[in-house]
Amino acid sequence: MSRFFATGSDSESEESSSADEITPKATGTTFNKPALLLSDDEEDTKRVVRSAKDKRFEELTNIIKTIRNAMKIRDMSKCLEEFEQLYRAFLKSKTIVDKEGVPQFYIRLLADLEDYLNQLWEDKEGKKKMNKNNAKALSTLRQKIRKYNKDFETEIASYKEVLNSSTNVISLCRCQDEESESDDDEDSEDWGSDSVDSGGESEDNEGAAASLAVVFLKKYKDGRRKRHKKIEQVEEEVDEDGEAEEGGWEKVKGGVPLVKEKPKMFAKGTEINSAVVIKKLTEILQARGKKGTDRAAQIELLHALSGISNENNLGQGILVKIKFNIIASLYDYNTNLAAFMKPEMWKKCLECIDELLDILFENNNIFIGENIAEDSENLAISDQPFRVRGCILTLVERMDEEFTKIMQNTDPHSQEYVDNLKDEGRVCGIIDRLLQYLESKGSTEEVCRIYLRRIMHTYYKFDYKAHRRSLGLQGETKSEQDQEESEGEDSAIIMDRLCKFIYAKDRTDRIRTCAILCHIYHHALHSRWYQARDLMLMSHLQDNIQHADPPVQILYNRTMVQLGICAFRQGMIKDAHNALLDIQSSGRAKELLGQGLLMRNMQERNAEQEKIEKRRQVPFHMHINLELLECVYLVSAMLLEIPYMAAHEFDARRRMISKQFHHQLRVGERQPLLGPPESMREHVVAASKAMKMGDWRTCHSFIINEKMNSKVWDLFPETQCVREMLVRKIQEESLRTYLFTYSSVYDSISMETLSEMFELELPTVHSIISKMIINEELMASLDQPTQTVVMHRTEPTSLQNMALQLAEKLGGLVENNERVFDLKQGVYGGYFNRGTRTRP
Amino acid sequence: MCFGPFPLHQTMASRKESAASGSSPLETPVKQIQIDGLVVLKIIKHYQEEGQGSEVVQGVLLGLVVEDSLEITNCFPFPQHTEDDVDFDEVQYQMEMMRSLRHVNIDHLHVGWYQSTHYGSFVSRALLDSQFSYQHAIEESVVLIYDPIKTAQGSLCLKAYRLTPKLMEICKEKDFSPEGLKKACIGFEIMFEEVPIVIKNSHLINVLLLDLQEKSTVADKHELLNLSSSNHLEKSLQLLMDRVDDMNQDIGKYNTYCRNLSKQQQQKQQYLQRRQQENTQRQSRGEPPLPEEDISKMFKPPQAPPRMDTLLIAGQVTCQSVIFMGRSLF
Repeated sequence: MSRFFATGSDSESEESSSADEITPKATGTTFNKPALLLSDDEEDTKRVVRSAKDKRFEELTNIIKTIRNAMKIRDMSKCLEEFEQLYRAFLKSKTIVDKEGVPQFYIRLLADLEDYLNQLWEDKEGKKKMNKNNAKALSTLRQKIRKYNKDFETEIASYKEVLNSSTNVISLCRCQDEESESDDDEDSEDWGSDSVDSGGESEDNEGAAASLAVVFLKKYKDGRRKRHKKIEQVEEEVDEDGEAEEGGWEKVKGGVPLVKEKPKMFAKGTEINSAVVIKKLTEILQARGKKGTDRAAQIELLHALSGISNENNLGQGILVKIKFNIIASLYDYNTNLAAFMKPEMWKKCLECIDELLDILFENNNIFIGENIAEDSENLAISDQPFRVRGCILTLVERMDEEFTKIMQNTDPHSQEYVDNLKDEGRVCGIIDRLLQYLESKGSTEEVCRIYLRRIMHTYYKFDYKAHRRSLGLQGETKSEQDQEESEGEDSAIIMDRLCKFIYAKDRTDRIRTCAILCHIYHHALHSRWYQARDLMLMSHLQDNIQHADPPVQILYNRTMVQLGICAFRQGMIKDAHNALLDIQSSGRAKELLGQGLLMRNMQERNAEQEKIEKRRQVPFHMHINLELLECVYLVSAMLLEIPYMAAHEFDARRRMISKQFHHQLRVGERQPLLGPPESMREHVVAASKAMKMGDWRTCHSFIINEKMNSKVWDLFPETQCVREMLVRKIQEESLRTYLFTYSSVYDSISMETLSEMFELELPTVHSIISKMIINEELMASLDQPTQTVVMHRTEPTSLQNMALQLAEKLGGLVENNERVFDLKQGVYGGYFNRGTRTRP
Repeated sequence: MCFGPFPLHQTMASRKESAASGSSPLETPVKQIQIDGLVVLKIIKHYQEEGQGSEVVQGVLLGLVVEDSLEITNCFPFPQHTEDDVDFDEVQYQMEMMRSLRHVNIDHLHVGWYQSTHYGSFVSRALLDSQFSYQHAIEESVVLIYDPIKTAQGSLCLKAYRLTPKLMEICKEKDFSPEGLKKACIGFEIMFEEVPIVIKNSHLINVLLLDLQEKSTVADKHELLNLSSSNHLEKSLQLLMDRVDDMNQDIGKYNTYCRNLSKQQQQKQQYLQRRQQENTQRQSRGEPPLPEEDISKMFKPPQAPPRMDTLLIAGQVTCQSVIFMGRSLF
């Protein structure tokens, strides 16, 4: 739409009106009500809350209106007064102008006013007729505006350029009636404000301006005062079925005052055919995205339209098209990206998509695609299959995102969240149906995309059914069993099939990466450790994940954590520790997993970043329990670190395996009074202390008890296995610690005693001790006949240890000293050559 | 360990008086120290009462120089005071104390000070400074070092030290740069000299002791045979190790200094050579030579690390290792 055309006609009319001196009606009263509910003005009167921009601009337009009126009656003093007011108002809205740019209507007024004043100035006779006041005002105003306009020279110039080009068009069909002059004026005012609103989207080309001009003028040819916002296609439609259009417009006009009633679409007598409906549809869609468009009403209208087309059996093509648009406008309902759908909207959206899918499944002869051009669509019933523009996949993807958004914005501890979560089934259902549809009709890329969606809804869910089956538990009754069987294949099989398809067919790296990560996650979740680990290692994701975008990185972090927890469940403590180390050592696990924002770096990020980060959050039902994560990490660190510490007690260069674990130990030590442990961390610290003494029973009771069960261990699906594994590990590591710590006290120790002490079987004790001896951790030998461990006593005492350390240090000292000496003597005069040098 | 040099102004004055009255600057240096049994007991008692852990107790020695031996006949502890009672006047206290002792006809001449030590870690800057100021004012003064831990094990450990004349000179000049120390030919071995100690009791006390010895049982002596000294050994080893670390650090510092110095020397040499070349060229062209510039300004020699601390640490290490040896042999 042209920004300038409207004033083009305005100034045209201005010339004649100034000559004719037609007094206009009071402003605002005779405002043409635009068609339907698309009116700006109506909105304005209803609305209570308005943005600062709207307010300021309205102020300006009001003043401009008064100025224009004053211009018409040649009231120069009034003009001057108003101009000064305008000037002040403009200054007041400076901040908004700076942001938005100088509003076009303002420029227009400045240009017009200058032209008008120049005209008056030239008109000597007219000047003479003026009274003294007016004449004086005229000269001051002329000077003022001249000066003032200098600031806006470029804008005015460009405006005039457009004006000139559009006047050409207008002059072709100049046939305005005199009586419409005043209305025209106000109309154009309206057009003006409209163009301001849509300033962002307006295509500022002459062609559009011209066509608008044509439309505009054509309207007047009919001699009716009607408003409509159609630009495109108007001409062809007029040619095609002028009659229908006429009727259509009539009704629209009539419908306006009855806002509350359901607006009628078509005149009673109108024959409803597909062309009419399509035209109506396009007309409704024209209003889309414009300010002041009542989006809710638009959705209503589209619904009504779909109902009408259904009643009249206009064919599935149109229905599909309308459905597409309904869903699109449902998505449009929220202009803000961060806002989420209202529940009723969401429900409607789901229904619509469901219906759409129904239609698509029922009718095999509908082709949809986003690259079908608007004009090559085939909507009418004919022999040819329907061709409809639109992409169902995008709509479903958007729906999925909306669902995530809804979940993100619901309080996870409320009943509402649970209610919302129930929709997940429907979302999955829709995705499944679309998947079937696309498998038969879509391209590989589309299939990959929908597969990924399916995977995203599957990977984090634990397959209890398969789990039960693997445990050999059958459903209790026959019916239950049947139900189980009918429920479909295991999620593992589904995941496998979908992911493998993606690995083979996908050409965008991102989908494949996501699929791999989800696959690993799913494996890990179901304790298939080796598959998960192999897949992770084969994918080489660890090397280049830092180049991925944040959501993928979050997924990667989630996968690593899940992998670590899986390793822990399998008793692979070292692997578990390694997998969790990166996430836990940063102390930002929450943030890295996308499960919440950290408060502390508020100053590091601004509001914008925070919004982005908020959008990345994982919905609550997909969260990984952070306490579980930390506990798993700490317990694995304990199992590794405590024996290590015992073994290297006197080692000067002992390094830490886990900094975080040491930190927790220190925190525990700093406590002035040690009460019974309360939190998970305190439990682990207390257990560590017990383990340090080789007291596995206490350690066990600290790690596995009521509190810890309810907090951590019960969260695993195979709780019992994990607990058994843990007890075993604690026994073994305690035994090792015990041997490290107290071996210097013993001459020999019977393995039977050890096995009794730690409640381990003799072979296990034997193997542990053998391993320690082989690794040269324990200086001892096994005496087979008596089943005893004989200590060699080669471990140095603490004093000897210190002496060794001192010797080492002294060695360093000597080395340093020699270096000083070298420097003095030159490179070749080292310490050991000294004698030969000093000798004469 | 908090102790600084004792304030000496007034004592100096009092010393001058006595110097005027007879024994002017020492003709012969003190060769041995004769300590009264009372002094030893007083020092031990002082530590027992006030010292604990690594804390150090100090006090003033009183006595007289007789020919080539220094007789220490009495002492009094220096009161411990915390940082917050500022009004406490140490000098005033000393003067008061000495005056009172004089009234009861006890030797009141200041001849040094004593200090307890923790595992022989007494060679420090503070000791050096305060001993220097003593010796500066009162030539014959010594510092008695008392090792309570070893004493507790059964063998009295009391040593008398003083600064060597060479070190006195260096301290007077306050030149601790590497060059200065090199010129003075001072090493850690000859910083302090130990003066032999003789403990002397009056005949009456000797008689009493003999009498007591008769009465006491031999069982009391088993302490001497106690072998479980590894705890102390570890401790002193630990301290020794710390000192070695310090030493290492110091050497590293010195090393970097030396390297910087030589590097700069090289640069200087290069600069001079270039300059000379240019000058000869100019001369051949008949131009005046370049004006002389202050080379020392362009090449500021790097700040030399003071070596005194290194020396002290070295001394400490030696001292501790000697003590350690003594302990381990015990």
